[in-house]
Amino acid sequence: MANYDLTPRIAPNLDRHLVFPLLEFLQERQLYPDQDILRAKLELLNQTNMVDYAMDIHRAFYHTEDVPQDMVDRRAEVVARLKALEEGASPLVSFLQNENAYQELRAEKQYNLQMLNERYQIGPEQIEALYQYAKFQFECGNYSGAADYLYLYRTLCTNSERSLSALWGKLAAEILMQNWDIALEELNRVKEIIDSKSFSSPLNQVQNRIWLMHWSLFIFFNHDNGRTQIIDLFNQDKYLNAIQTSAPHLLRYLATAFVVNKRRRPQFKDFIKVIQQEQYSYEDPITEFLACVYVKYDFDAAQQKMRECEEVILNDPFLGKRAEEGNFASVPLRDEFLENARLFIFETYCRIHQRIDMGVLAEKLNLNYEEAERWIVNLIRTSKLDAKIDSKTGTVLMEPNQPNVYEQLIDHTKALSGRTSKLVSQLLEHAQTQQAAR
Amino acid sequence: MASRFWTQGGDSETEEEESDYEQEDNEVPVEDINKAAKSKYLQGSDTESDDEDGQKRVVKSVKDKRFEEMTATIDQMKNAMKINDWVSLQESFDKINKQLEKVMRVNESDRVPNVYIKALVMLEDFLNQALANKEAKKKMSSSNAKALNSMKQKLKKNNKQYEEMINKYRENPEVEEEEDGDDDDEDGEDEDSEFEEDPSKLGMESDAEEDEDKEAGEDDANETGPGWEKMMSKKDKLMDKQFKDPSQITWDTVNKKFKEIVAARGRKGTGRIELVEQLTFLTRVAKTPAQKLEILFSVVSAQFDVNPSLNTHMPINVWKKCVQNLLTILDILTQYTNIVVDDMVEPDENETQKGTDYNGAIRIWGNLVAFLERIDVEFFKSLQVIDPHTREYIERLRDEPTLAVLSQNVQEYLERAGDNKGAAKVALKRVELIYYKPQEVYDAMRKLAEQNEGGEGEADGEPKAVEESRAPPSFVATPEIVPRKSTFPESSRTLMDILVSLIYRSGDERTKARAMLCDIYHHALLDEFSTSRDLLLMSHLQDSIQHMDISTQILFNRAMAQLGLSAFRVGLIAEGHGCLSELYSAGRVKELLAQGVSQSRFHEKTPEQERMERRRQMPYHMHINLELLEAVHLICAMLLEVPNMAANSHDAKRKVISKTFRRLLEVSERQTFTGPPENVRDHVMAATRALRQGDYQKAFDVINSLDIWRLLRNKDSVLEMLRAKIKEEALRTYLFTYSSSYDSLSLDQLAKMFDLSDKQTHSIVSKMMITEELHASWDQPTRCMVFHDVEHTRLQALAFHLTEKLTVLAESNERAQESRIGGGGLENLPLRRRDGQDYAAAAASGGTARWQDLSFSQGRHGTGGGRTGYNAGGRTYSGQAGGFSRDRTGQSRGVGRTYQTGSAARASQMDGSTRMVSLNRGAYA
Repeated sequence: MANYDLTPRIAPNLDRHLVFPLLEFLQERQLYPDQDILRAKLELLNQTNMVDYAMDIHRAFYHTEDVPQDMVDRRAEVVARLKALEEGASPLVSFLQNENAYQELRAEKQYNLQMLNERYQIGPEQIEALYQYAKFQFECGNYSGAADYLYLYRTLCTNSERSLSALWGKLAAEILMQNWDIALEELNRVKEIIDSKSFSSPLNQVQNRIWLMHWSLFIFFNHDNGRTQIIDLFNQDKYLNAIQTSAPHLLRYLATAFVVNKRRRPQFKDFIKVIQQEQYSYEDPITEFLACVYVKYDFDAAQQKMRECEEVILNDPFLGKRAEEGNFASVPLRDEFLENARLFIFETYCRIHQRIDMGVLAEKLNLNYEEAERWIVNLIRTSKLDAKIDSKTGTVLMEPNQPNVYEQLIDHTKALSGRTSKLVSQLLEHAQTQQAAR
Repeated sequence: MASRFWTQGGDSETEEEESDYEQEDNEVPVEDINKAAKSKYLQGSDTESDDEDGQKRVVKSVKDKRFEEMTATIDQMKNAMKINDWVSLQESFDKINKQLEKVMRVNESDRVPNVYIKALVMLEDFLNQALANKEAKKKMSSSNAKALNSMKQKLKKNNKQYEEMINKYRENPEVEEEEDGDDDDEDGEDEDSEFEEDPSKLGMESDAEEDEDKEAGEDDANETGPGWEKMMSKKDKLMDKQFKDPSQITWDTVNKKFKEIVAARGRKGTGRIELVEQLTFLTRVAKTPAQKLEILFSVVSAQFDVNPSLNTHMPINVWKKCVQNLLTILDILTQYTNIVVDDMVEPDENETQKGTDYNGAIRIWGNLVAFLERIDVEFFKSLQVIDPHTREYIERLRDEPTLAVLSQNVQEYLERAGDNKGAAKVALKRVELIYYKPQEVYDAMRKLAEQNEGGEGEADGEPKAVEESRAPPSFVATPEIVPRKSTFPESSRTLMDILVSLIYRSGDERTKARAMLCDIYHHALLDEFSTSRDLLLMSHLQDSIQHMDISTQILFNRAMAQLGLSAFRVGLIAEGHGCLSELYSAGRVKELLAQGVSQSRFHEKTPEQERMERRRQMPYHMHINLELLEAVHLICAMLLEVPNMAANSHDAKRKVISKTFRRLLEVSERQTFTGPPENVRDHVMAATRALRQGDYQKAFDVINSLDIWRLLRNKDSVLEMLRAKIKEEALRTYLFTYSSSYDSLSLDQLAKMFDLSDKQTHSIVSKMMITEELHASWDQPTRCMVFHDVEHTRLQALAFHLTEKLTVLAESNERAQESRIGGGGLENLPLRRRDGQDYAAAAASGGTARWQDLSFSQGRHGTGGGRTGYNAGGRTYSGQAGGFSRDRTGQSRGVGRTYQTGSAARASQMDGSTRMVSLNRGAYA
């Protein structure tokens, strides 16, 4: 199943720290040898300041107790640097921690800066130091501290570039702390800035969007309302363009979101076309499933793909999230997906059939006969399906729903009289006003 | 006035003498033919009088004979003057000058015979007269006027030498006349200076200079003459002499000479080839590398001047030499990195004096990019002109690697020099050399280049060595630093990627657009349809192409054609049709692709237009096979149109996918008797007939019998694809046509009928059901399809028609009212259409309605330009207005390829509903 794993494609678009959860997941799923994952982790950590963690991994990786000298050195260095930065930012930090002083800040940045400068001798250097400190905190894995400081920094920062970086940092920190609600807010803030800001080159803008979408995966598949929002975000033209251009693998998530979301039919049709169009650049069981049902009308293949989809979902770090209930673990998204996928197949299948054998249908739906019958009866009862079951022959009979010719005719002409009378009245009105004017 | 009188007199004399001759032959322009006869006649008349003293004649012999010849020529001149024929006058003048030389030699005198002076005076007067008479001058034929002008110059020059005598003569014509007789007897001692006049006939300005050169001694010239190059004119020998002694040559002398020669360039009568030779000689004696470079630049531009006409190409040997010179230039530039080539600033007069040891930058005027482009143009032109079926053409094509080497070197140099713009331009030239080559051809070229290295190394090496030993060693030896062999990467795609990304980085708009088109073409050639389609769509070239120059438009058309072919090869019929239909809609494919001139029945082209068109033609080896193109287009149209016609049999006019195809079909149906198919069109029509009856096997066989398929690389797979498509469309057509006759049909039977698998049949039929093309549904347990009787009766169909018309009426009323009253609050209710129809309508309108016949007659305001115009206007890719605008700017997939024109703004313009490319819509609708 490793060939459908998207981690290598997603990771480059994430922050270093955001990759850890993915690697953790992979380790758990046992898709790759443990050693590989550990090595990957170690490499990731080498660039961060989370030296302690790196040491742990190193021990696990080499099965030794001692750690190389450079790691120890690095640890000392990191600690020293942290100290230095803390010192640099301390005036501001202490000011900000002081409730009363903090109250003095106002909405206007310029005023704040001036005030800080005059009363507390806090100048641009200190503010800059705060940023560096927060960044260092983040790199050390102290996300909550980083998030706090970055938030404060943003209230004082005047440089818009820096402000954006800080915002990204905050977003990452919130994601890593799994504060989905706050993260979502931050996400929207970043999105606004990206959309409104004029980038030096369109390339940059697209790149930013790609990042944003990748990061947002964490939020959307964990937030309650995420599945609608992911469609809202990804299906915007600009973002869809970016996906098609640089990151077609994101189509998997959009496709999944569409499948589990029943109320998105109009956009869904367009989305099918996108999938078709991108077939040459990206394919995985989920998109293939949609293509089978809605393009090729190949139901056997669709059923086959459905089984593959299950695997893919289970192995995807975002889609395969576990919900633990007591000691019974399930993957809610998988169940939802399968249910909806089944419905998709069934719907399309019914549209082109007049009479269907229940046995075949059950097979197509990956259900046994009884289950299938119950399922169909349920559908009929909730009036989602206009059909009857012929129990004796074991078939489902579709009710023909051909539109009546006369109805159609009436439909066509219904509006005409209204329009004409409206026209006439307008003409009359016009004539009268003209007469009145004379 | 006297002189004038004299001329008159002179005229009448000749008239008397030659009256009978004139009667015989009034057409003097053909004098050339008669010249021999005439001189004989004249001689005859002379000898007649001499007959009496025949003895004397023998004595006089040579001397007199020469003299008489001269007189005869003068008579000819008089004749020519009378009828104002400057062409023959010019000839006579040259002749008399030659005769003069002989006379002088015979007489061994230093004095010019009076007859000659007399003729000169006469000529001068007549010339002045002719020049004064403006009106007559205008009426002259062009060749005559040209001759007149050149006469004017020659005479002026010539007369300068004899000024004194002429003046004397004018003062006192009679005296001179009397003396006439004597002058034969006067023998002077030989004087070199008189001989000197001879080269002046070559028309060189620098006579005076020459005389000085002469002092070096004529004998030396004879010794060195054969020494190095036979082709050298006398003049060059003189130069050789001048620079014979290496110790005496200084920068100044060379510079002076160089200036002189350059000044002569472009003047009347300056031999173009001689100029090149002189300059080439100078490169040998140049003192500093910079000077050598400067002179080499002049050599190259002089070589470009060798061919003055815009329509013909540069002689091939000159071209080759030119390439060599450019390579030498590059050698120098590589060797002395402090020399900067620039065409912006006027360099210092003595810039080139700075020697090799000079440290700072030396600026030389010159433009390598322009030179290279010119070389390329000349190569292109030669290929246009040469008959492609001859050996010469192939020989010429072998020079392609040479050009590739040169451009590669120039590009490398420019990159080193930091001129990225120039480098991009040169890279474009290289791209244009390879973009149309499939991998096989590219490999062949690569091999050829490698062989050339081996073979030519030997062949070239020897003569070069010989030449080297003969020629005086040049002062500035230039080792061959720049590689003479280009290095081609294994695959043409790699090379394209490298070049193209360079161009995208630093080229200007036009360069980028062209590179993009070449890139598209090349991708399409390699069967990468989707990549090349994406490139086309993201570059938005189809929107702006009509504002570009014609050659770029041609390139665009070529790219579109290739794109269509590649779409067909990978089995995307609708896309292929979309690409090709516009090329064929006006029936001027040849013209649009610049692969031959199409004759229009309705419109005569002016010669000017024809010339222009000829100049745009693609060389033969770059052609896209038109038969293949036509076949692909028609087959695509057939596959789309046949089921479409079957589906809309009741109102056939409504939805037309391919007008061209419909028209052809009508024509072929009108025939009472259809013979066996001969050309591509017949084949497709025959296939269409079979397909309409659902006979897929016959349809396929007919198409399979076309012999153009051998042009395809993956012939078998393409034909297999075609077979499958034909089956599919036959099935659809069958269902459309006969569904009303059935109540139910079994899947097995259908599958058997069309030799399709159950699954395929099921899929095709299901698709038709979903899109409501077919009103039927499956009965799963019995594996049958059951048809619903929803076909409208005639009455119902008419009723629908009526409602539709009513809606249109209401709408037009509303519009009318709106425009009268202005802005009514009426919302226009959209026409309700079924989905399937909507797609097809969109596709159909894309093909036709958006098409406009925009002509290219830019700058040319003639009304005639319109018809021959290139139809690049209003072209939208498969007719979807701005449909697909994926913001591809963020392309990071390729090799860092970023085509920067796309902007985020564009992405935001479009609205969601039209985002899809309806390429795909059409395919699956």
